[in-house]
Amino acid sequence: MSDANIKSDRCAAGQLLDSLYLNMFHLIEAHTQCRIDIERTNSDGAILLARTKFQQGGQSISTAQIPTENSAEFNALCRVINAADDDISIERHPVDKENGYVDPLYWFSVLPPMSLRNAVDKFKRTIELIAESTNLQRELNKVLNGIGRLRQSAAL
Amino acid sequence: MALHSAIKGKLISVIGDEDTCVGFLLGGVGEINKNRHPNFMVVDKNTAVSEIEDCFKRFLKRDDIDIILINQTYAELIRHVIDAHTSPVPAVLEIPSKDHPYDASKDSILRRARGMFNPEDLVR
Repeated sequence: MSDANIKSDRCAAGQLLDSLYLNMFHLIEAHTQCRIDIERTNSDGAILLARTKFQQGGQSISTAQIPTENSAEFNALCRVINAADDDISIERHPVDKENGYVDPLYWFSVLPPMSLRNAVDKFKRTIELIAESTNLQRELNKVLNGIGRLRQSAAL
Repeated sequence: MALHSAIKGKLISVIGDEDTCVGFLLGGVGEINKNRHPNFMVVDKNTAVSEIEDCFKRFLKRDDIDIILINQTYAELIRHVIDAHTSPVPAVLEIPSKDHPYDASKDSILRRARGMFNPEDLVR
């Protein structure tokens, strides 16, 4: 391979590396913003849970109401499905007690107060953000692998 | 009872404190399968680090789990196991808890990204 070709390959690899680094910084920014949003919605939900505890008593929302290994089996209401371009999204199943899709709201109260219902909305939003964050994290992982491979290549 | 037949999609699992688990279970991620294995673990002050580690490894082995959520404060306790997991599936997401806000400098993927342009930071 001539010197001109080697120089040209190095130049192309350098440009590719630059674009990967730029992409990495954009993804880091989006990833961090998404985590901040997760923290915010999660905190909003936690405040509403605390309000429910204050109204209904400290033990009304606790691990005592959560199912254990000894409880009857049940299915998750929301699942991760593959969407376009290797991305994931959240799919929700309607409540269907006969087929094992139970509403977790009623584990904690027979007549759930408005604060608990509002908390559920916040946590559902958090789950949507989790899917968004997972997509960003996987993309960032791919970019980091690409940078690693390129840096190890003989051209650089 | 064949509740789990022909269910499409994968699960989100949670390892976290009481409020985190309650929150995500209210959101609808919780499941107990036919083998009576839950996809969540509530960590309290009496939970040993080995139990968290075992649970995390169990979730990694399950092929019906796509995302593992873990409070960052507990992720710190089993950092060596999390750093050793490099496969994109299941994705491990470190989330904040009520008492410990999210710290980007501790996040495994961001530490790796930082190492790409500042390798000294990785040895800290």
